[in-house]
Amino acid sequence: MAAPVIDTLAGERVGKKPPAPRTGGRFSVHFAHYKWLYLLLLPGVVYFAVFRYAPMYGVSIAFKDYVPFLGVNGSPWVGFRNFEDFFANPDFPRLLGNTLILAFLNLGVAFPLTIILALLLNEVRLSILKRTVQTLVYIPHFLSWTIVASLSFLLFALDIGPLFQFLNNVMGTNIDFLSDPAWFRPLIVLQEIWKNTGWGTIIFLAALSTVDQDQYEAAIIDGAGRFRRVWHITLPAIRSTIIVMLILAIGQMLNTGFEQIYLMTNALNREVADVFDTYVYFVGITQGAYSYSTAVGLFKSLVGIVLIFGTNWLAKRFNQSGLF
Amino acid sequence: MKRINPRDSQPFKYPNEVEWKNMIRRKLSLAAAVVTATALTLTACSGGDTPAADLTSVSIMAPFLEAQPPAADGAVQKKLEELTGKQVKINWAPNASYEDKTNITLAGSDIPQVMVIQGKTPGFVKNAQAGAFWDLTDKLDKYPNLKTTFPDIQKNASVNGKVYGVYRGRAPMRAAVMFRQDWLDKLGLQPPKTTEDLYKVAKAFTEQDPDGNGQNDTWGITIPKWGALGTNSPYDLIEEWYGAGNRWTEKDGKLIPSFETDEFLEADRFIKKMVDEKLINPDFATFDSTKWNEPFFNGKGGIIVDVDSRVSVLINLFKQADPNNFQNKVGFVGNLEGPDGKLHAHPTDGYSGFLAIPKASVKTDAELDKVLQFLNTMNGKDVAILLNNGIEGVNFKVEDGKAATIKPETPEGKAVTTDIKSYAQLGMNVAGNEFYPVKQPSDYEQQVFDKRTEVMAADLKSAVYNPAAPFVSQTYVAKGAQLDNIVADARIKYLAGQIDEQGLKDAIKLWDTSGGNKVKEEINKLWQDNK
Repeated sequence: MAAPVIDTLAGERVGKKPPAPRTGGRFSVHFAHYKWLYLLLLPGVVYFAVFRYAPMYGVSIAFKDYVPFLGVNGSPWVGFRNFEDFFANPDFPRLLGNTLILAFLNLGVAFPLTIILALLLNEVRLSILKRTVQTLVYIPHFLSWTIVASLSFLLFALDIGPLFQFLNNVMGTNIDFLSDPAWFRPLIVLQEIWKNTGWGTIIFLAALSTVDQDQYEAAIIDGAGRFRRVWHITLPAIRSTIIVMLILAIGQMLNTGFEQIYLMTNALNREVADVFDTYVYFVGITQGAYSYSTAVGLFKSLVGIVLIFGTNWLAKRFNQSGLF
Repeated sequence: MKRINPRDSQPFKYPNEVEWKNMIRRKLSLAAAVVTATALTLTACSGGDTPAADLTSVSIMAPFLEAQPPAADGAVQKKLEELTGKQVKINWAPNASYEDKTNITLAGSDIPQVMVIQGKTPGFVKNAQAGAFWDLTDKLDKYPNLKTTFPDIQKNASVNGKVYGVYRGRAPMRAAVMFRQDWLDKLGLQPPKTTEDLYKVAKAFTEQDPDGNGQNDTWGITIPKWGALGTNSPYDLIEEWYGAGNRWTEKDGKLIPSFETDEFLEADRFIKKMVDEKLINPDFATFDSTKWNEPFFNGKGGIIVDVDSRVSVLINLFKQADPNNFQNKVGFVGNLEGPDGKLHAHPTDGYSGFLAIPKASVKTDAELDKVLQFLNTMNGKDVAILLNNGIEGVNFKVEDGKAATIKPETPEGKAVTTDIKSYAQLGMNVAGNEFYPVKQPSDYEQQVFDKRTEVMAADLKSAVYNPAAPFVSQTYVAKGAQLDNIVADARIKYLAGQIDEQGLKDAIKLWDTSGGNKVKEEINKLWQDNK
């Protein structure tokens, strides 16, 4: 990882390129010069040391055969056996496939929709309407997945659900959406869109509010229509925000959301529904294989890190504005 | 150009503005410092809590199945402490997350002296084999109330013969077929005796308009989302009635899983025929099991295959809807004869978990003796009555040897009745039920209750037990749930028509090759060694 470059209060930078003279007193001079800033940094460092780094020793159970009674330290080491078992498991390709497909669907469908919704909201001129719509689309975010799943079960219930009837009438079919494996992914993405699209617009709307209004006036004088203005002014203005959000989203990509998928899984769609998160729960909690599921979780995290750095590197290569 | 440190990026609303960023960062750091300080103080407080040597108090961890755990100063709690002469500290944990809580507790430092363990889950077996609990195999017989009169059930509850706890006895025979008696009468049918009868009744309920509304809107059997193997599901029951055995079955001098028998396939063919002819609710793979009674009560699906206690639940539903006319709505029979003309009744393992004693909190034999003495008192008649019936004169009175609820209910009586629903979780009853049977509120309900007892007692004589119940195979502990899922899912897919019979057979083969063969080997070895 490149040394972090941290903006200080004074707008100066410490870390990679310390502005303090490096010749004379070396670090002590530098430290004395910025001691208050370092003091300010201390609580954050302590927080991360205690709550983020110290618990990481628990990750060691991925390389052990953990038994709760024996504790983390008392359980015997087994090296990479848990990882070998996982990669050799016949379920592995299916889990990876299911996780990636869902992740890309969410990224490819739900993420752009957030931007589109933000752009649409931004174009609404009537302030009261804009605010009302904004509030309404935030609400689903605050409902738990249990409620969303229950709603889906009611709406898509076999023979009697209103959406079951409507969609099957329109398509002239008789599909049980809740158990048909082909409809599992669309249903999951649909739920994700319904629940989180509105909430996701917040950051984009914030970024949109900083766009220079003069540019729009200039564009209007030049005869640009609404789409032209969005394309040439709005989108470039929030481009960096989009990229930052995209990198973050990609880092979270493999976290497909345990609750949602667990609740929508049944014997008939498990083939496409099993993802890393549900597998970790199933194997770890219901079978008591803590070490094995920790290994799976660790693998997932490693993939996440690779994805973050990969996307960041790509973003930098193309327009020199990454996350770090 | 912006630089955002990844750890700070989430709370940002305006990533463009340096000012904002720094303000938030400052606030976060402050908050973090406060959190850290608080956490450190808390850790310092929750240090060691060693139990007293003379055992004036006993701590117990138990699950609660009601909406709320009983109050710590309730009448039942006080009476319990009075009867046992100890301060009883019960740590109630919600049933839904009980096993997680068990593991977290065992890994922690504050371990109770008695833990209710709900079954031989892989987590429990691992802990037990690592030495987390006392081996009580040779110890229980010394305590008059802990010496079981059902040694077979104690053996079922053991881990390969090692008894790690005092089991909680449960009625071993519970399987029943419930049907709408009024529908049956209207169509002039007899209660089913055989699986073939079940098919006929289900077909009549589906096709002959039993509710008389002129519409084809009823079905026979309602089955909820309940796929897992060996969980007394409707599928398990029908398979056992066909003669597939109870989880494991002996064939040619070897134990094989019941799904590797021909009878299993026959039974599933039979169920599939009913699914195909729409005698079973079409959403059986997804139907929410908490709504199981609804189609029965609302006159949609006329048959439920489940435990006999559901009979009372169903009768109560009708009673609440119409207190004057609820008789003869619900009929029931016990286990059904299979196509071979024999009755293979489906019993449970006869226990629901056990009360185990962790070594970490009870360190010496002397301490163990004191805890076992306490459990001995807990298993005596007085405490059994308290835990299951309540307090005589407060919520029940004894009439012809039965516990009758005192009417009208006082607030105190109501509180006791609510509390014992949780306290019953501590009951063991290893020498049979010593408390009073509950007197039913009406003659009709008493008749039904007595008939239930009779039918179940008769069926128990034809029970086919699980010969592998006491045995725990290491491979099964490591991946049994995954393995069983292969067959369980295939069974549902076969019934739903997603795969054909060959697909089901392939899944059973896959069970074998993914580790099942090893499970079979281990179980057979344990079986041979313990013969």
